[in-house]
Amino acid sequence: MAKARELGVTRMVFLGDIVGYNADPCALIDRIAELVASKKALAVVGNHDEAIFKDYRNQMNANANAAIEWTKTQLNNSQVDFLQGLPLIINEEQICFVHASAHNPSDWNYVTDSMSAWRCAQSSGKTYTFVGHAHEQALFYQSAVGKLIRFAPHPGDEVPVLSHRQWVGVVGSLGQPRDGNPEACFAIFEPELSVLTFHRTPYDYFAAANKVRQAGLPEELANRLITGR
Amino acid sequence: MAIAPGIEAVDDIFQEGKVVDGFVLGKEVHRGGMASLFSATKEGIDIPILLKIPRVGRDQPVESLISFETELTILRALKSPYVPQYLGSGNMATRPYIAMERVEGRPLEDLIKEGKKFEIDEVIRIGADLAQAVQSLHAQDAIHLDIKPENILIDANGKLTLIDFGLSHHERFPDLLAEEMRKGIGSAPYISPEQVSGIRSDYRSDIFSIGVILYELLTGQLPFGNPQTMSGLRKRTWAEAFPPRAIRKEIPRWLQEVVLRCLEARADDRYQSATRLRQLLREPESVKLTERSERVEPLSFWESMKRWLRAAGYEPSPSPRPSRGNQDAPLIIAAIDTRQSDENLRERMQTTAKNVLLVYPEGRLVCLSTIANTPTFEGNVESQTASGIVRGRLVQLMEWAKPLKLPPERISYHVLEALDPATRIVDFAKDNDASLILIGASRKSPNKVTPWRTSMTKIVEEAPCSVHIVRT
Repeated sequence: MAKARELGVTRMVFLGDIVGYNADPCALIDRIAELVASKKALAVVGNHDEAIFKDYRNQMNANANAAIEWTKTQLNNSQVDFLQGLPLIINEEQICFVHASAHNPSDWNYVTDSMSAWRCAQSSGKTYTFVGHAHEQALFYQSAVGKLIRFAPHPGDEVPVLSHRQWVGVVGSLGQPRDGNPEACFAIFEPELSVLTFHRTPYDYFAAANKVRQAGLPEELANRLITGR
Repeated sequence: MAIAPGIEAVDDIFQEGKVVDGFVLGKEVHRGGMASLFSATKEGIDIPILLKIPRVGRDQPVESLISFETELTILRALKSPYVPQYLGSGNMATRPYIAMERVEGRPLEDLIKEGKKFEIDEVIRIGADLAQAVQSLHAQDAIHLDIKPENILIDANGKLTLIDFGLSHHERFPDLLAEEMRKGIGSAPYISPEQVSGIRSDYRSDIFSIGVILYELLTGQLPFGNPQTMSGLRKRTWAEAFPPRAIRKEIPRWLQEVVLRCLEARADDRYQSATRLRQLLREPESVKLTERSERVEPLSFWESMKRWLRAAGYEPSPSPRPSRGNQDAPLIIAAIDTRQSDENLRERMQTTAKNVLLVYPEGRLVCLSTIANTPTFEGNVESQTASGIVRGRLVQLMEWAKPLKLPPERISYHVLEALDPATRIVDFAKDNDASLILIGASRKSPNKVTPWRTSMTKIVEEAPCSVHIVRT
């Protein structure tokens, strides 16, 4: 967040899965809730957030379930209420924010290929759709024949995203990248300039992993913070 | 795809005398199928400005807008002395334009159309400059993909500029022309076989196009004609160009070798970097002559038939990253102090150079030595004249490199005149896109001269590439 502010971000959007992986769920929710309350940020609900107040045990692996069970013991009622009150999808004039895909958002479909990106863009109908869920950064763009083509962005490059075609940005994960690089992923969109820049920034993932271990969460959840896998 | 409805008004916005985002429009200097060009001025910008406005609207092809967007993306990212400087752009939906530096010069196409007969030396110079300009794109992970005489401007001093990036590709940005329905976009005479197959990510396509231009300038003919059909375009995947020497006798064999190698159907068989091509055009003695240089007659009917059958299964080679070209075929400079008497160091330098070249089978070694300055008067004895001194040094360099047993195409020797050797070596490395400089540092530093030491520090600090200091 500090890095984003440094880069001049005026509004933040959290694309879901606020809890369910990390060892600081309370602090994180409080901070995001405050930003949302003061209209400085938007947030949508992710599948791991929903697991706090819905029964997903059959759909998640053992590690994820353990993390959810542990997180439940940490949160107070108002924090759970905050998660429960998060919208599934936010539609603005040109932009759509959603955790997984604008196509049946509650089914938590992954946007990973041309087809899933096309469904997502079709359903949102917006010029820009930003999603999380999938852990790897990608930018899908509409070609002349309407098909969406995947592009692997290079961190720090300003990519012009002009508004006459549709774009789906898979922003990646702040704390859970899966491409072998543990640095946090985020993206900055500048509507006036029609420019999208994907970013990676280092944070103290050793400390984060230690906290996960100390909380008694599965070792694998701690390790993947360090390896980025 | 939704194209903004308000866009028809473009013709009203862009007229002489009107002001758009501070750009004062001057005369319309060109009107083409895809775009109009206006001269312009703007306060605070003291170079001539050109505004490029895409021809958009109901009757216009959608490609003109896509290539406009492509050019905007790529031109904005490029920094090269061989490309017009990007100066600004307007909103794509309401007033699309790109403002760029207005470069002096005439298109090479004009000279060709006028029927100019190019001297061999002139063609070599244009080819070398073109290769350098193209290398500056490849080094930034961009591929032009539409290198043709129309898109090459040459000014009165012979300086060359590449224009029109509407069909280009850049590794760092989404390729908006990818998977377009129409395959093989580009200009029929100049596009590579892989472009005909719809591949837009092979930087060696540009090397093919340079080959076509060299061929055209040398012979006045196009190696594969100007086909209008797909099967005509495919011919370049199997046909062999008529040997240039059969058209113009005075073309040296080495030059025919270079041109025909650029025109190889498989990208893997061409030169693998534009820098390499430039270096060969400037140092013909390094060109390895093959059967290509000997050709005097077109292929026999049967040979053509065989090649045609082979091409039925034409598979383009995989495309490496553009900036890779120079990494796979690196240029390594060995800065050699020929006065050096330290035998150990000499041996170590030789071993290091040998090992580095083993790792890069396509790498080349430049043995470099500097001399303070040559006498302005001509002495009586040969060894005292300027050319005599340089020749003496060259012999020493060749002697130095002998144990490496490198074939002539992988090694060259240069004696540079310089009062400040470090700066000269750094400049040479820059000019030639070197990847590594080897310098020797002897424990027995010669007469404990400190200037020699600062010279090494300077190279380390200012070199555009890695520097390897060999120690005894």
